[in-house]
Amino acid sequence: MSSDLDARMIAAHEAGDPQALIRLYTQAADEANALDAACFYLTHAYIFALEAGAPEAAALHARLKAHGREA
Amino acid sequence: MTTVTDLSNVRASVDKANGLPNAHYIDKDVFEEEKHALLFSQWAGLAVAADVPEPGDAKPIEFLGMPLLLLRDKDGDVRVFQNICRHRGMILVDAPRKIEGAIRCPYHSWCYSTKGKLVSTPHVGGPGHNTHVSIVRSELGLNEIRSHIWRDVVWINVSGDAPAFEEVHGELITRWADFDKPLYHGGGDSKFTLEVDTNWKLAVENYCESYHLPWVHPGLNSYSRLEDHYHIERPQQYSGQGTMVYRQLQDEAGNTFPDFQDVGEKWGEQAEYIAVYPNVLLGAQRDHAFAIVLEPKNTEKTTEHVHLYYASPETDDRLRTKNSAMWKEVFEEDIFVVEGMQKGRHAVHFDGGRFSPVMDSPTHCFHDWVAGKVDTHRGQAKAAE
Repeated sequence: MSSDLDARMIAAHEAGDPQALIRLYTQAADEANALDAACFYLTHAYIFALEAGAPEAAALHARLKAHGREA
Repeated sequence: MTTVTDLSNVRASVDKANGLPNAHYIDKDVFEEEKHALLFSQWAGLAVAADVPEPGDAKPIEFLGMPLLLLRDKDGDVRVFQNICRHRGMILVDAPRKIEGAIRCPYHSWCYSTKGKLVSTPHVGGPGHNTHVSIVRSELGLNEIRSHIWRDVVWINVSGDAPAFEEVHGELITRWADFDKPLYHGGGDSKFTLEVDTNWKLAVENYCESYHLPWVHPGLNSYSRLEDHYHIERPQQYSGQGTMVYRQLQDEAGNTFPDFQDVGEKWGEQAEYIAVYPNVLLGAQRDHAFAIVLEPKNTEKTTEHVHLYYASPETDDRLRTKNSAMWKEVFEEDIFVVEGMQKGRHAVHFDGGRFSPVMDSPTHCFHDWVAGKVDTHRGQAKAAE
């Protein structure tokens, strides 16, 4: 993960900004080189989307489920 | 060693009975015993549904030391859960807020729907693996506390084994069938809390008798004399008082609150004030109602949560504010009495007192209920030994 993305994630956590967290963790998943790493970030994006009731939750859930990582 | 009180004379007839012994007001062991016998095993008042008006609204409430979560789910149903994650027992919601999607535990982010279903368990099978064969989500939903809404009060049965609410209180529901109309909470100016240095039972006892009215509430004397009141007694369920001279509040122009539909004609100047055992005090009148949920804090401290309701969602602001102030003054007038009786329970030679056979029977009715439930609880505890 780039240091810029990492910094933006930390800022989003500090701000408690769910939309930014969903977007940035999804971006981290998309940029990850390994499946486990991608699913780790996807999980975070999904959980924040789930908590926020954000529409992205369905697609994130589908991606995790496709990899056998979510029920 | 656990305190065991002698209740044999409490259940005698009102002309011969003594009130509950001091220990029932000041002893921690008895308080703990009553917590189970009188509150957890019955339908106790917890809050009002108006505390969570919109779907997703969540309010953490501590009830007798137990963390609970009052929640209106996405379909609009009010539910009560234990406010802890099924994973490590962490508190889930620490302040009132809106649940937009799921309840996320702040510790490891296990997520629950507003209906209590466990919907995600991140990394439970290792990083990025969110399932594990041993973590069966359908078995790990939030622990829901049995609840029921009546007259906007959220009643809970913590033990889960009391008969259905309608079965326990069917007679009262029928008695007040005329008042079974939509209740509209008056909003922010129609609720207040009173912190009182008394055992919660003394607040019940004071509420359900009219004997004290001319002495403690002299302002009522001009229109609501003692002889205009009648006793209400339903052994093992509730007791209270009624009046035949209820007078509607008016503003300077003579305007009143609108009546509940069809109630005004039937009830006219009659109104009733009933303590529903264990801890809810209700008032029903032609044009407004109230509910007081007594929150027992410890042997000697009680928080009274007062809520006022109307027949219409829109009522006059000034009249409503005036009504809240009027009731607050009345309820505050009772504080020195219940606090004084509480102090009196530290007098070691007090025998529980005696009752006026004519005027105190609603209070005796409550004591009889307490003694009966405590006896039953002790019998069950002994049988389990």
